[in-house]
Amino acid sequence: MYRVPMIRKELVAASAEPLILSLLSKGESYGYAIIQEVKARSDGKLNWTDGMLYPVLHRMEHRGLIKSRWAESETGRKRKYYSLKKDGKTAMAKHHEQWSLVHSVLAGLKKEQYV
Amino acid sequence: MFDLEQSIADWRKQMLAAGIKTPVPLEELEIHLREEIERQIKLGLSLNEQEAFHFSTRKIGQPKMLKNEFNKSERTFMRRTIIISAGIIGVAVGMGFVTPAIAKYNEQGTMVHDATIGFLIGIPIVFAGISMAIYGFKKRKA
Repeated sequence: MYRVPMIRKELVAASAEPLILSLLSKGESYGYAIIQEVKARSDGKLNWTDGMLYPVLHRMEHRGLIKSRWAESETGRKRKYYSLKKDGKTAMAKHHEQWSLVHSVLAGLKKEQYV
Repeated sequence: MFDLEQSIADWRKQMLAAGIKTPVPLEELEIHLREEIERQIKLGLSLNEQEAFHFSTRKIGQPKMLKNEFNKSERTFMRRTIIISAGIIGVAVGMGFVTPAIAKYNEQGTMVHDATIGFLIGIPIVFAGISMAIYGFKKRKA
């Protein structure tokens, strides 16, 4: 049976920011939940080294795309929740535009192969 | 006998030794570690706490590798902050030349020799400062 290979690390790295921004556009979240959601949505094929998410989140926070706050979860555990800022929404729209363009070019080329 | 709390304390020490700062981001990483250990045990993905701990620490990554990633992020932030600060200082220095020149012009109704020199030196510095600050801000958002 054909297995979809794991996604290359360069692509994983490039897609981290748009994915985080898109996930946070649905509401605030924290590191562990972000990783779990990405894993679930990609059937485990987008494999982030867990610890690598945090430098990305911190970098995005420095750039003013997201903000964070410490809060207690329903289980009493302290968590750092991240949410989208206005600049983050703008950055997300740009990412969507660019990724859609890449996708449409690829899809067009693929379609031509079967004509 | 495996002691989870002791193992987490040792893991924290390794992170600190590699230069990972506390409370941020070490606290965040520890919370992540604990959540993953819990999940491993709850879903039966690991046989026991020891296995769950080793699996979860491997997933988080090597302390040095993590520190390098955090360093990259800090270096980029510092570089942009320096560019913006240099730009702002440039504007202030440039204005230090331009303002007295304009004041003299207002006073005397004509631009005398030293005021002209001050003005001609100050204006490019002001524009260079503004450009640097704008570049720095744009880089921050990029």
